Amino acid sequence: MAQSRFSLDLARPSRQHWLGYFLLAPAVILIAAIIIYPLVISVDLSFQNVGIARLDQPRRPFTTDNYARLFTSPDFWNACWVTLKLILVVTTACFALGLGTALLVNNRFKGRSIARLLVAMPWAVPEVIATVIFAWMFDSSFGLFNWLFITTGLADKPINWFSETGPAFAVVATTMVWKGYPFVSIMILAGLQSIPDDFYAAARVDGANAWQRLVNITLPSLRPVIGVTMILVMLWVFRDFSIIYVLTGGGPLKATQTLSIMTYEQAFSFFRMGYASAIGVVTLVICVIAAKLMMSRAPENL
Amino acid sequence: MKPRILTQLFLYAAVLVTCAFLIFPIYWLVVTALSQPDQLRQLPPRFWPADPNWSVFSKILGERPIGLWLANSALAAFGAVTISMVVSVLAGYSLSRFRVRGGQSLGLFILTSKMLPATLLVIPLFGIFRMTGLIGSLWSIIFAHATLIIPFTTWMLKGYFDTIPRELEQAAMVDGCSPLGALFRVILPVSAPGLAATALYGFVLSWSDYAFARTFLTNAQNNWTANLGITTMKGEYISNWADISAASILIALPILAIYLFLERYLVGGLTAGSDK
Amino acid sequence: MANISIRNICKSYGNLNILKNFSLDIDDGEFVVLVGPSGCGKSTMLKILAGLEAASSGTIHIGKRDVTDIAPGDRDVAMVFQNYALYPHLTVAQNMGFGLKMRGTPAAEITLRVADAARSLDIEHLLARRPRQLSGGQRQRVALGRAIVREPQAFLMDEPLSNLDAKLRVHMRAEIGALHQRLGVTTIYVTHDQTEAMTMANRIVIMKDGEIQQIADPETMFAKPANLFVAGFIGSPGMNFLKLEQAASGGLTLFGQVLPGLPAVTLSGGRNIIAGLRPEHIRMGEGAATITVHPSLVEGLGSEKYVYFDTPVENRVALQGVVHVEKDESESQQRGNRLIARLMDVGPVRVGEALRLSFDPARLHLFDATTGVALSPADTLAGTG
Repeated sequence: MAQSRFSLDLARPSRQHWLGYFLLAPAVILIAAIIIYPLVISVDLSFQNVGIARLDQPRRPFTTDNYARLFTSPDFWNACWVTLKLILVVTTACFALGLGTALLVNNRFKGRSIARLLVAMPWAVPEVIATVIFAWMFDSSFGLFNWLFITTGLADKPINWFSETGPAFAVVATTMVWKGYPFVSIMILAGLQSIPDDFYAAARVDGANAWQRLVNITLPSLRPVIGVTMILVMLWVFRDFSIIYVLTGGGPLKATQTLSIMTYEQAFSFFRMGYASAIGVVTLVICVIAAKLMMSRAPENL
Repeated sequence: MKPRILTQLFLYAAVLVTCAFLIFPIYWLVVTALSQPDQLRQLPPRFWPADPNWSVFSKILGERPIGLWLANSALAAFGAVTISMVVSVLAGYSLSRFRVRGGQSLGLFILTSKMLPATLLVIPLFGIFRMTGLIGSLWSIIFAHATLIIPFTTWMLKGYFDTIPRELEQAAMVDGCSPLGALFRVILPVSAPGLAATALYGFVLSWSDYAFARTFLTNAQNNWTANLGITTMKGEYISNWADISAASILIALPILAIYLFLERYLVGGLTAGSDK
Repeated sequence: MANISIRNICKSYGNLNILKNFSLDIDDGEFVVLVGPSGCGKSTMLKILAGLEAASSGTIHIGKRDVTDIAPGDRDVAMVFQNYALYPHLTVAQNMGFGLKMRGTPAAEITLRVADAARSLDIEHLLARRPRQLSGGQRQRVALGRAIVREPQAFLMDEPLSNLDAKLRVHMRAEIGALHQRLGVTTIYVTHDQTEAMTMANRIVIMKDGEIQQIADPETMFAKPANLFVAGFIGSPGMNFLKLEQAASGGLTLFGQVLPGLPAVTLSGGRNIIAGLRPEHIRMGEGAATITVHPSLVEGLGSEKYVYFDTPVENRVALQGVVHVEKDESESQQRGNRLIARLMDVGPVRVGEALRLSFDPARLHLFDATTGVALSPADTLAGTG
């Protein structure tokens, strides 16, 4: 009876809205403990000269040295440049490939659902496994790509994919495009399916050819989806750790060292966690701006 | 009629070539796994394993603790998904149904935290887990993975609950359920497919993690997850690609199976909270 | 079964007042229909009655019991929803028995009562199915069944027929009426459809913007609407509205003639009077007040004809915001500018040709143009003073 009296209480009209708070409480507590509290620590660490984070020891004196060092460090600006390059290359390629495959499998033909499944399959391959596959394909002695390049005459001697700066960047970018384009494809397919058939029928009646229909109907209708998707892809490249870290570790000569990799290296290879946190806080600020940008594009779902 | 047949043929050819091209890396992984090690050190490469070496799987399972790694991955994923689901089901339902003060800003925060870089959280979490003695324990990545999963699952579930008419729990309440009773007796059973899809999605997120496992578990060999284990194989001075590929297939298999099941829910999950 | 007493219920979200001082006494066994345009607060009132929403102030009694802040499940009422809200994961029998199960009724008795209810609704053969395997009409019956199995003090129905097609709607209307006759359970029924209200109710409550406009039985509602809103809402086609002109003689003019049979009155302060005339009170041929019109549109419906013609410019009224029209503002503008006559068993009527029509001025409804309130002849007389 005692238990039923408790539930009775929440069932009273005047108290029904309490339940909303009760239901949210576990999430709030957990998120505070494992996301907000760590974020606060991060910011706090970034203002201390800390090697290895020791929370059980007294706080070090407040300093902005980490940031001062960061903004004068050529490594930091190099990482920014690498990140930007990678974002541009990967996002553009993912967009082209994703849009192309989406348009292709959006046609009517037998076996379309299987084609859709296959085209989006790399999405389901764990990142670490994708890096294993590409590390092997780009192997400098017996890898498929070197054989291909030499037999087709694109190269006259084997390329050392992982010890030269340009090729290493290309390997990372290729792997990320392969892993990332299915997401674009899936999203654009969903967008394509929400375009009413009437639009196309009307355009056909008006005598528009396939290209005109693509440019005048399909792409404009897809604009919101494409916008949100591209931002999500950019954020993914921006944040990615495992593909780059496992493939190249950021090398050679920091040619593939993005901000994420640099943060991790500083924290766990050089044990400069204060300095690393400062980089992390900068990436956080960039992420929040990007997230805001995305939400302003899709406000109706909030 | 003729041009239509031609375009149709062209379409099939294009689809075939595209699929073949994009799926080739996965195919190559399988071929590599099934090749004899010495065949992999020949040029030109063989695109079809003449005598597929199926024993590679039993060999690799015998040589490496892959079973243990898979079990650790599964255990971590199970723990992280369980914690995340309990929390997200309640929170998603609340965000979907109640006008809670601050609820909207919480929703926004959760949405934003989907975009946090793991490399940012990994430093303070390292500090926290060191202090609490969780470094090296599976609990460390269970909690860490929850930070990845909760933002996704909460929004996916909120979206799913939004599609269930409120009248359903109102009917249940008029029929004598408490609000919580209505949730458990009516809304959750009705949401079973959505709950399953969401949980599996969380499973994929946990299973795919490398950054947290690398940071918290590197020195605890018995708790290595599959992804961590396989990168240690790759890092050895002579890489045996057949073995690595075989191990990779074993690790990717559960996720591919889930993908086949999840395919039709995928769009909803990926777009939850970021698109209409 | 019990009477229901609603006292001064208010409901507001911030500055938005959904319900303003709603009071209503419902007799035991009565069938009351809350009707009004969307957003008038009728559904909110029903939810408050069910305990699904809290009132900002006011009290509700069911029988002798104060249920204002009692859980929905403890009010002993059953509710039928517009979308039926059947539990998709349960069979029809489980759906119907759910409420009893929640109350701890023994399984054997549940089975018995579900079977009884199913028989009376002719859905026995559906008991093992799930809701998604049923047609719209069958779902509706199951929803009713779920309500009657409980044998509650009152039925609350929220637009239960609006998801059905027109034909089925008429059929179910009759069936719900028969059900009420048979069971005699107090019923509160919410709808936006005045036809449903007129055909089913013992008493109708018309609402607009969270306020009760009039409470009356269907006859009175039709014959003596309390204000312009009610007059315009009840009846199909809707009542015609005309602005009355003050004649030099002190009488009131319509169509350029001083009306015979109306007291020569006016309101103080030069306020205007709006006259309402029902389309069915206009007849073909000569009568007490005869007019010549040129129809702009004629709709033949077999036995009857709707004849549309323009209102004389001096009699046109601006009805925006006063009279409810389903569609939009231009519609209500139109409604002030044209008249409809509903003529029974008449010969051919042609657009544009002169037509003699008549009406009895005693049948006119008079309203204060400013407040919209209906005026009895006594009121108008008093106004002269």
